[in-house]
Amino acid sequence: MFGQYHGTFRYENGDILVENERIDGLLTYRRRCVGHAFERILVASKNARITINPVEPVNLPKDITDLLLIEFTPIVIEPGTMQTVYLKFPVEVGVFLESEKGIEVLDIFSAGTQKYTLYGPPAGGVIARWYRSVVYPEIPSVERFREGVMELSILNTSSEWAHVSCAVFNGVDMKIFYNGDIVATTATMKIISPAIAETGFIDAPLIPGMTRSVELYKARKIRVIGRGYLMEWGL
Amino acid sequence: MPDLSAALGMSTGIGTITIGDVLWFAGIVAVGVIIAKVVATNVKRALTERLPKNERELLAKVVYYIIILWAIAVALPYLNFDLSGLLVAGGIAGLVIGFASQSVVSNLVSGLFLMFEHPIKIGDNINVAGITGSVEDIRILSTIVKTYDGIYTRIPNEKVFTSNITNYVNNAARRFEYKIRIRYKDDADEAIRLAREVIATHPFALKNPAPMIYVDSLGDNGINLIARIWAPARNWWEVRTILLWKIIKRLEENGIIVPYPQRTVWLADEERTSGSGAGKSLEE
Repeated sequence: MFGQYHGTFRYENGDILVENERIDGLLTYRRRCVGHAFERILVASKNARITINPVEPVNLPKDITDLLLIEFTPIVIEPGTMQTVYLKFPVEVGVFLESEKGIEVLDIFSAGTQKYTLYGPPAGGVIARWYRSVVYPEIPSVERFREGVMELSILNTSSEWAHVSCAVFNGVDMKIFYNGDIVATTATMKIISPAIAETGFIDAPLIPGMTRSVELYKARKIRVIGRGYLMEWGL
Repeated sequence: MPDLSAALGMSTGIGTITIGDVLWFAGIVAVGVIIAKVVATNVKRALTERLPKNERELLAKVVYYIIILWAIAVALPYLNFDLSGLLVAGGIAGLVIGFASQSVVSNLVSGLFLMFEHPIKIGDNINVAGITGSVEDIRILSTIVKTYDGIYTRIPNEKVFTSNITNYVNNAARRFEYKIRIRYKDDADEAIRLAREVIATHPFALKNPAPMIYVDSLGDNGINLIARIWAPARNWWEVRTILLWKIIKRLEENGIIVPYPQRTVWLADEERTSGSGAGKSLEE
């Protein structure tokens, strides 16, 4: 399903159907995913193409936050040490219309479910997309339309042992790559003190040869001011 | 140099005003204009995020003209202009204008305080002075609130500033609750489990703080359960309107019914004949 398409196409896999068909002379994009349907008539030049790729998973069921919180099995990490682990993160699929005149977000959908949480206290805390993952020592196998693999390097720069059971990321900073098997991203978490950490993403594929996704904030022409996220409400 | 001094000391022919006096006047006014322009530009820049464009421009113009008037007042004595008469006239005029525009000034000052204190922002859902709705605009003199019925309401800033303001979306999350009644013969633990399952399926019923569901009281007509759910402050209403019916449907699918209000009446004759009514527990 991920990739670029010109003109008409059809992809069907289980609960997911994505197609671009000519109906009564009109080019029509249709999508059906776990019971939800979406349809648009497309008026575009012959050079226009449709790009389908995984996007930052902070848009469904509607855009209320940029933050992604992944909760995982607690890790205790010694001062001055670094550990690389693998987590799973939720995947949302973005469909873009691209031409020489620009790029437009056509559709966003997901085969998975969504859940949100509060990171921090009610007064001062922030809403984040919530996801729970097991900690894997190696790249786990995933169903790539539902889940992606995050390589997370945790570095404890503080002088105390740190207990880490979640990581909060700024979704607009996310660099997602994909190939025929998996969707992946590479992230870092620098522990500054036992209660504060800085997270960010690395703009490099997990496996050489992976294709980089078109990012939603670029398609929406949103200027990104900050980079990374400072976790101030505990790890 | 003597020539320059002589030239500056030359009379202009208007009373005792010299060319030097005129130049001093022009110089002070010119400096005033430059200062006014710099200050007005910086006022506009500083208020870019805080005020809408038209009000920003208005405030900058007010600041600009106040500084120019001040510069002229400072420079006028060089033209032998006696300000004392003006001050007396100005004082009386100021007193009259002050009384007349008391509420305007009060609203203006309150508006400025509101803009800097930021208790409310455009788009916030608030309750102020008994009016509930979303903030459409915060102007220099008034705040515009659109009530949930879609009614345009203008509230003077003085009233906003001196009233208790409830901002429903200032915090990221807020809590709401349902009261759910089940029959005495139903299993409360099972009802709690089912309600928890339904709440877990809604994306915006927050994972943390976790929802609380518990037996609150043993009522006249059934067991009263309370469900307390946290949701994003800007989305709580849609969560609240959807979840209750889903919970009730799930409970009913599993044989747990919301009981009607009921009274068990024991008649004296019946009690005398049967003798077994007293102490019977209320089952439905």
